[in-house]
Order: sequence, then C-alpha cells, then structure tokens
Amino acid sequence: MSKASQLPLAVDGLTTAFRVEGRWYDAIRDVSFSVARNETLALVGESGCGKSITALSIMGLVPKANGRITAGRVLLDGRDLVPLDETEMETIRGNAISMIFQEPMTSLNPVLSIGFQVAEALRYHTPLTGEAARARALALLEHVKIPSAARRFDDYPHQFSGGMRQRVMIAIALACSPQIILADEPTTALDVTIQAQVLALLAELKSETGMAMIFITHNLGVVASIADRVAVMYAGDLIEIAPVEELFEHPMHPYTEALLSSIPRVDRDAGDLKPIAGQVPPITAMPSGCRYADRCPLRVPRCATMPPLVGLAVDPNHQVRCWVRAADESVGA
Amino acid sequence: MLPYIVKRLLVAVPTLLAVLTVVFFFVRIAPGDPALIILGDQASPQALAAVRHELGLDQPMAVQYVDFMSMVLKGDLGTSLVTHRSVWGEVANVLPYTIELTLSALVIGVVIGLPLGVAAARHRNEALDYAARLFSLVGLSFPAFVSGIMLLLAFAIELHWFPVISEGRPGDPLSRVSALVLPAVNLGLIMVAYVMRVTRSSMLGVLGEDYIRTARSKGVPARVVIWRHALGNAMIPVVTVVGLYLGVLIGNSVLTEIVFNRPGLGKLIVNSLNQRDYTMLEGLMVIYAFFIVIANLLTDLTYGLVDPRVSQR
Amino acid sequence: MSPLAVAMGRGAWARLGAGIRHHKMAAFGAGIVALMVLSALLAPWLAPHDPLEQDVLLRLAPPSAEFPLGNDSFGRDILARILWGGRVSLYVSTLSVLIAIFVGGALGILAGYIGGLFDRVLMAAMDVLLSFPTLVMGLLVVAMLGPTVGNLILAITLTAVAPFARIARAPTLTVKERDFVEAGRALGFSHLRIMVVHILPNVMDDILVMAALWLATAIRTEASLSFIGLGVRPPTASWGGMIREGFENILDAPWLAIFPSIAILVVMFGLNMLGDGLRDTSDPRLRHE
Repeated sequence: MSKASQLPLAVDGLTTAFRVEGRWYDAIRDVSFSVARNETLALVGESGCGKSITALSIMGLVPKANGRITAGRVLLDGRDLVPLDETEMETIRGNAISMIFQEPMTSLNPVLSIGFQVAEALRYHTPLTGEAARARALALLEHVKIPSAARRFDDYPHQFSGGMRQRVMIAIALACSPQIILADEPTTALDVTIQAQVLALLAELKSETGMAMIFITHNLGVVASIADRVAVMYAGDLIEIAPVEELFEHPMHPYTEALLSSIPRVDRDAGDLKPIAGQVPPITAMPSGCRYADRCPLRVPRCATMPPLVGLAVDPNHQVRCWVRAADESVGA
Repeated sequence: MLPYIVKRLLVAVPTLLAVLTVVFFFVRIAPGDPALIILGDQASPQALAAVRHELGLDQPMAVQYVDFMSMVLKGDLGTSLVTHRSVWGEVANVLPYTIELTLSALVIGVVIGLPLGVAAARHRNEALDYAARLFSLVGLSFPAFVSGIMLLLAFAIELHWFPVISEGRPGDPLSRVSALVLPAVNLGLIMVAYVMRVTRSSMLGVLGEDYIRTARSKGVPARVVIWRHALGNAMIPVVTVVGLYLGVLIGNSVLTEIVFNRPGLGKLIVNSLNQRDYTMLEGLMVIYAFFIVIANLLTDLTYGLVDPRVSQR
Repeated sequence: MSPLAVAMGRGAWARLGAGIRHHKMAAFGAGIVALMVLSALLAPWLAPHDPLEQDVLLRLAPPSAEFPLGNDSFGRDILARILWGGRVSLYVSTLSVLIAIFVGGALGILAGYIGGLFDRVLMAAMDVLLSFPTLVMGLLVVAMLGPTVGNLILAITLTAVAPFARIARAPTLTVKERDFVEAGRALGFSHLRIMVVHILPNVMDDILVMAALWLATAIRTEASLSFIGLGVRPPTASWGGMIREGFENILDAPWLAIFPSIAILVVMFGLNMLGDGLRDTSDPRLRHE
C-alpha cells in the first residue's frame, strides 16, 4: 500500500465502455499498470487498440454522451480519480496531471493568443495572476525553446509552424509542474527532424522536473529511444508490460513477438518480415476470452477465458497476459 | 489590427462609388419613359419634355453622371416630385426612427439568440434543444407582416399595452419607447430565430474540435470553455449570418413600419413607389447603397475583431 | 445512363423519399405541403362559393354556417378566397423556383465545369444579385416595370437564381476532378453529356433542399408584396392582399386578417420543416441527431 502511494500514477483494473447503436461494449478492460517518478512508460499498440482511450479515461475526458468508465481505479498519488465529479477533476487536470495531443495544428484555439493559452493554466491552478502569470508563461515559452518568445507572446497559433505549436502544447502541459504527463502520439504528425527535436525536449524537461510520463505511440523505433518500460495493448487489453530492453530482447506475448518480427530492421532482410494473419475483432464482436486467440499459433482451449496479467517467475517486472507463456517457467532464463 | 481597419476603409470607398454607379444606371436604363410613366399617356409633348428636363434626362449620359455623383457626394439628393421638399430632408426626418428600430432588432436578436443557441447546443437533443429549434422554425415561418399584425392584435388592440400607431409623441421619450416595443419585438424575434439556429449549429461543430479538448485537459472550468473557448470560435459564422441578414432586415422593417404605422424609410419607399416619385426613389436607392456599404464594412470590421486569422496576417 | 450516375441520380429522389420516410419532421412537412398543393389544385371544386362574388349585405360578416370563415369587405367568401389564393401562391412560387432551378442550376454547373474567367465573371454577377434581399428586389422590379404577376415572378426568380447557381457550382467543382469524368472524356463523351449524366445527379440533393426553403421564401415574398399593394392586384384573391384588407379593417373584423395569416403560416411551416428535415438527412454530420 505504501508503495502505491509513492507512485505518481497507478491504474488498477480500468474498464471503459462505449455505446454503439444503443448497446454498451468494453473498449478497454482490466487495464492495470503503474508509473514511477521520472519514469517513461511507453504505451504501444496498433490503431484502435485502446491506447488513447486509456489516456482519456485517466484524464476523465471520455465523452460522456457515449462512454463511461465502468470499473477500476485511477490512483493519482494514491487518490482515486474515477469517483470525482467534473469540478474536482477540473482542479486536477492541467495541474497534477497533463496531456499532450497528437494534432498540434488543431489543438490550439485559433482565436486566443498562445501566450494567453499558456498563462490560462497558470491562472486557474496557481495563485499567479495578471503580470506575474504572463511573466511565468513567457519563461515557459522560452524554456521550450520558442524563438523570440517575448515578441511572439501575443501571436496567434496560425502564425506558428506545427513543430512550434507542439512546443507551445508542451509548455501548456508543463505550466503547473504536473506529476505525470500523458503524451498521446505527440510527434506522429510532425516531420522526422522536428520529431527528434521534440522528443529531445521532452526528455530534457522530464529529467529536470522528475515527472513521470506515459508516451503513447505505435512507432516501436521511438519506443526504443525514449522509454524505460513498455506496455503493449491489443484490442483493449493490456497484454504485456516490461522494461524496454527486456521487451525487445525477450518478448513473451505471441502478439508482441509477432509485432516485433513484422517491423523492418536494419539488421534483417526484408524477406524475414512476417505480417500477422487475421484481423483485430470489431468492438461489437469481441471474444470474452483472450482477444488474440483467433490469430495466435499457441492457442489452447483455456484461451477461451481471459488470462490474468501475471509476472514471470524469472522476472516479476515482466508481466504478460497469456495462459501459455506465463505458465512456461523455463522461458526467459 | 489597424492596418486591417485602414484596408477595409479604403476598399469601402471604391465599392461605394461602384454601387452608386449601379444606382445611377438602374434608374436610367429601365424600360419605359419616366416622364410618360409619371404624367400618363395623355400628357402633351411639352409637359413630357418639361418633366424630362426637370429630371435632367435630356442631358448626355456623361453629364448626368457627373451631376448625379457630385450631388450625392454633396449630400443633395434632389427634390421630391410629389412634395417638392428636399429628398434628404424627408429622409432625415424619418431616419432616426428607422435606425432605432433596426438597432433594437439587432440587439434583441443577438442578445437573446446567442445564449439560446449556446444553450441549445449544450443540451443537444434534450427538451430545451427541441423547444428552441421548434421556436426558431416557427419564427422563420412568420412573414414579418403577419407576425406584426398578430402582435398588433394581441398586445395593442386587445390588451392595450402598447399604442396602435407607433409614432410616439415628440419630446416624450417614454411614449417613444412604448411605440418602439412592438415593432422592435416583431423584427427582433425573426432575428432571434436566425441567430439561434446558426449559433447552435456553429457551436455543435466547435464543441467537437480538438482545441476544446485541450482546454478541458488544462482544467479550464466548463463555463469558461463554453463561453470563451467555444463561443469565441462559434461566433464567426454568426457574424456572417447577421451581416447577410441585414439586407433581409430592411425588407422586414418596411413591412413592420407599415403594420405599426411607424414613420421610417419603409413608408417613404412605398409611397414613392405608389406615387411614381422618381427623384425620391432614386434618393432612397442612394441611401440604400450607403447602407449596404456601411453594413458590409461593419461586418468586415467585426470579423477583424473576432477572428485574429483575418486581422493578423 | 452510366451505372454510377444511375446509382447517384436515382439516389436523389430515392433519398428524398427515404428522407421523408425516416425523418419525422420532413414527413410532417411533406404532409402539410401535399395538403396545401391538393387544396390549391382542387380549389374550383372545394370552394363552396365563387371567390369573386360580392354581396354588400355580407360585408365583414363574421364566420357563419354558410360562410365558415366569414366574409371580407366586399362580402366575398373568405374560405373560397383562401383556397383560390393558394392557387396564386402555388403558381407564383413554383414557377419562379422552377425557373430559378433551371437557369441557376445550369449557370452553376456551367460555371463550375468551364471555370476560369467565365466562372469568375458569372460568380461576380451572382454576388451582385445575392446582395439584394428578395423583398427589395421585388420593390425595385415593380418600381421599374410595374406591378404585374409576371414581374413578381421575375423579381423572385432574379433573387433565387444566385443561390441555386452557387449550390449547383460547388459539387460540380468536386465531381469535375473525379476520375470517371476524365475517363468519360477519354472515351469521347461530350461535355454536355458529362454535365447532364454525371454532374447533375450529384447536384440534385442540395437543390431539393434549397427548393423547399425557397418555395417558402417565394410565397412569403409574394404575400409581402401583395400586402404592400404592389403584388397581385385585387379582385384576384391572394393571401397577402387579403391580409392587407384585413389590416385595413382590423378593428371591425379581425378574422379577415387572421385566417389568411394562418394559411401562410401553415404552408411556410410545412415547407421549412420539409427543407430542414431534408437537409438533416443529407448532411452526414447531423445524421446522428
């Protein structure tokens, strides 16, 4: 228990459902993981696997009209966020926990100056007002390396490039020194060179403040360069979680294995690429057991029930959700 | 912002000249002989020639054009063929009434329509939304003179809350306000319907945008997200619609002035049409031209205020 | 017709039908409109009395058994005049909107298809027309050409052409770029054939929505001008003219103004509902309401 309260974020059994044509379907189920101080957890998986929904659920930003968290806890520094109402969440968002989104071109309000949008977070969560807030916002913009920040403080988003806008987003997210920041594919929409710059910036800021980070991506190359630990999701399930090198060298879950062998690598021939047969089941037709079973070469009858997420005998830090692999104790020696 | 204002003002001038030119040609290329139409076909050739001379129609086009433009720019709109008083004088008499009516209608339309549209968007598909949409549909189905007559019947004739003839006594501001209420409500309600509809649909679009999600993720209170972040953007199409609607407002104000027996440009227009008062008609068209250009200018300036992408290039 | 155009073209009318069936508002509106059209077309048989027959003794008589809606200032049967007035409204509005659809639609498709200077000049002309609200245009035309029904139709058509041209132009611009048009050209299809067979069906959807809304505008304009005294001239029955008469006698016989008002209201409400409902079904963004 005391260990959990030291963790900036601990997600326990989180399940979020969406309503499709009148019926509720689980989009993510029983997602559990934690993130320590100064740690970067990469959350990976293909499009639609539930990575973004997990982040939105943590933030309490699931659209209420058609979605809701149906089970689980989200412990921010020991405090469960799920039962909180909107007003209480408003004091936490942008304050103790922040989020950066994928599309910098549309994530900033076109009719408000960027300086205003940065200072806004400060005005709602800190005692700073007026000139003091403005000064601090300017400092933040300089910190994320916006050139001529003082001159451009009152400029509008349309006057900035995509890379610059993403830096502004980062400034906004960091304004109140959050304990944890959720980054939902922040570099996917950017040029490769800008990508590298933004990633470097994030790494630098993170190590300065000691904040935790959840980095969502489908790009395993980025994962290799910035993550401490990696969590793999498939069809709404968290199926494997391990320190980054461990995951790349000894992937346990059949899906992770298949994923890693399907990406091109410099040291392998293209002929060795093996695409994964089959398709992800639609949300309205998800099996209640292991969702990868249909495509899995290791499938056994037991896979019709959902396997638990368990640590390996050889390495409790490496957890996998698979009947077959978790039971095989000789693996990973 | 300032360069934008200056640019807009500079554009307005040639636009005004262009529109005035259109007005000039409009009256002169119409089929039929104005003199004949005014005097009837029993008139003698001398009488017809006299009228043509009075109207300046016997001069070459170029001379007429210069005369026309210089008169307009001096503020002289000629003399009414019927009352023989200066056109500008007649217009100046009634202009305040028309302006106060139009402005009141605009204010009512925006002040009621905007929050109603926001509320409808927030409570989409709930009772409030349906009620608001029904109201706006009904509002759009009332021709201005029909709603005017209904209001007149109900509130002036039956209930005696307001005067039947909406002129007001000079020097008595209260009577003027009382005379303004029903006509302003008549015009205003239709505007409310328009503004509410476009605000609602605009808000619905904006609420799904990424930057709203960003604002929420910053912990900005819901109230501020709606009124500053969302409405700030949603207002832009509303400005367009209001700008477009100003033209319709003129037509409706003509009808309103007739129904409520109110002095204003509308009555002047109708009377001059019935009486074939050509000079008055031409003068009124010039006024209309000015109105159009000023309205467009104001709309453009409002855009500049509301949308920084327009004013900060 | 090409299979694609068939799929799309039959689509417009089919979608109209589907829209009306599924969308309660559109169905309701369509019902009201149908009722009005029927009563107008059948007026000669439905009207209990001659709308032009005067009877001095019945001046401004309130509703009675023989004259359910009362009599006007010339003793004429209000019910009959409302039915016949509907014919006038139907005639004026349908004619002007139809002409506007043909002329405006053709101009819009041509402008979008040909592009270049032709497009720019045409659209500039349309912009000029668009800056005139319908009533003002009506007043202007009547001022210059005299108050006849023909001029009334002309005025409404002039203002309606521009919007229809615009909404015909927009899909033309997108469809023009599509591959099957290029393929058609390569196969030697004439421009005309491409425009009629491929582009026109795509334009129909939006035009139908506009048509419903513009019919309402046309009826309103005709009534407004008749109310001012510059539209349909008495003794021909028209709703606007009847309301004018009612207005002049409002203290003595309010029903004279009320009944034609209700008629206009109901019809415009029905048309607006129909137009709104159709627009909701064709706009994918609003489909989930």
